[in-house]
Amino acid sequence: MLDFFTEFPEISRSDIRDIKTSIDNAFRSFSRNYGESIENFFDPLLWFLIWIEKLLLNTPWPIIILIIALLCYLGARNWKLPLASALTFTFIGYLGMWEDTMSTIALISVATIICILIGMPLGIWMSRSDRVQKILNPILDVMQTIPIFVYLLPVLMLLGIGKVPGLIAICVYAMPPIIRLTNLGIRLVDKDILEASNAFGANYKQRLLEIQIPLALPNIFAGINQTIMMALAMVVIASMIGVRGLGIPVLQAIQNQYLALGLMNGLAIVALAIIFDRALQSYGRRLQKHNVGNKK
Amino acid sequence: MKNLFISQFIYCLFFFFLLNKAVASDCEFQMADMNWPSATLIANVDKFILEEGFGCKVELIPGATTATFVIMNEKGRPQVAPELWINSVAEPLQKAMQEGRLFSASDGPITDLGEGWWVTPDTLKRNPQFRTVLDILERPDLFPAKEDPTKGEFIGCPAGWGCQLSNQSLFIAFEMEKKGWILVDPGSKAGLDASMSKAAQRGENWFGYYWSPTSLIGKYNMKLMDFGVPFAGAENWDSCISKGPEICINPKASAWTESIVKTIVTPEVRDMSKVMKYFSKRTFPAEVMNNMLVYMEDNQAQGIDGAITFLERYSELWINWLPKEIVQKVKKAL
Repeated sequence: MLDFFTEFPEISRSDIRDIKTSIDNAFRSFSRNYGESIENFFDPLLWFLIWIEKLLLNTPWPIIILIIALLCYLGARNWKLPLASALTFTFIGYLGMWEDTMSTIALISVATIICILIGMPLGIWMSRSDRVQKILNPILDVMQTIPIFVYLLPVLMLLGIGKVPGLIAICVYAMPPIIRLTNLGIRLVDKDILEASNAFGANYKQRLLEIQIPLALPNIFAGINQTIMMALAMVVIASMIGVRGLGIPVLQAIQNQYLALGLMNGLAIVALAIIFDRALQSYGRRLQKHNVGNKK
Repeated sequence: MKNLFISQFIYCLFFFFLLNKAVASDCEFQMADMNWPSATLIANVDKFILEEGFGCKVELIPGATTATFVIMNEKGRPQVAPELWINSVAEPLQKAMQEGRLFSASDGPITDLGEGWWVTPDTLKRNPQFRTVLDILERPDLFPAKEDPTKGEFIGCPAGWGCQLSNQSLFIAFEMEKKGWILVDPGSKAGLDASMSKAAQRGENWFGYYWSPTSLIGKYNMKLMDFGVPFAGAENWDSCISKGPEICINPKASAWTESIVKTIVTPEVRDMSKVMKYFSKRTFPAEVMNNMLVYMEDNQAQGIDGAITFLERYSELWINWLPKEIVQKVKKAL
């Protein structure tokens, strides 16, 4: 009797084994039956990724640096950021990390685009319905906290190692901030303004596109910033499942304690994050310029 | 307080018996229980057979390659390391053996072990003409890379592992790029495992680096390919192939270097002739070992569970290791 209190009444070893094997077997037959079609489903994404990567790799490097500087200029409309980013990229290339950096940029841009394309509508949907928010919130918590390899393992068994599983891992981890902050931003829009728009007879679409989203932009851009940062933080994890890029040398450095190699590639990831972020943020600030005058 | 007295009393009693027994059986020692599955299995099989069959007293203590080697060499205990991978401690071991501090009791506790290039059984079934790695290298089209289907995909070793450099050198030495192959870095052991398991489960073609004895090799019955060229000398391997393409400019195509595993004992155990005879005969064929590893993983079996299952399942194997009267004793104990 005392046993009951000292020893936790746990399920027997053979039972737990049966449960585990039946789950594993179910997944295995699922993978055998549907794995190939799921792989085919993701193929367009893979081709898109490869296309961008090849484009970046095959374009002469001065042109890439020019384009990056130009994009930074279009975003920021000053000369500091384009100059800094051009210098950074020249330096990265000089240190022999050009190809890895291009691979990483390709991956991160696609990941960020996917996160925004899926995350923003979800965030908007979440802001319109409390029930959706109640359902989505715990899912987002899971996405951000679940140990990566727990869901990556089944993904790998379905899709094999490579870019697409890497992209999925990145998006699962990096998408929650944009969803949460879009939702938050729209919910924080002043009720009086919405009432006023109703009074002027604005329809649903006008209210969303011309009032709520523009007013929520500071939060949305904070979300995009977080998404980019988290995506870049996942570059090393993505490399653990065979994605080329700056993560591979980092892994190599960690295994062998190559301090300099790790630091160089790690800092290149940081530099990418900062450039991406600054360009987008200054673009966002310009979008919101009309607000600045209205504030207090 | 009372407990302390009792434990002291038991301790004294125990000590008394120990002394007696040491005189009586003259066969008592510690054995390293290494921290990977195949070594645990061997240690537990040894313990069971030596205790039940030979009346020895064997204590298993946890171990790891370098740590165990160092204390065996310095302190003379544990007295036995049943599965010691020599490559990482080659030089000091040689010295210790010359000076008579350590001895090899078995030069091959497991057969056919080591690293190399593997394919799935389905690959071989569909392509019986594949005899060696050289045959496979002619057919990159059968192993299309996901990201560039015009190329063949060879899965190498995870970034940062020692074998990554060796694979890179061999990739150059076999002129694989010219033959239409790309070397894929799986990034981690999890990546390598997943890549191989996925292909094996779906019956797809897969060509890559792995090692044995491992449960995955046993689980999917992976096939080790002969390189089709001989081992091109230790110098080529040690000072070129294993250093990677940055240092190794002109690697010579070569079979993978042999991994040497031995059972190492101290002089104390070397003088126990029956035990030494057992060690010298006790050899696990790779297939048996891999199957046992699959069993242990599937059932999450501890070392001792694995050992008993092994003794039950493979009695035709281990009866050859032992004199008849001892076989009877072990069988009775099962």
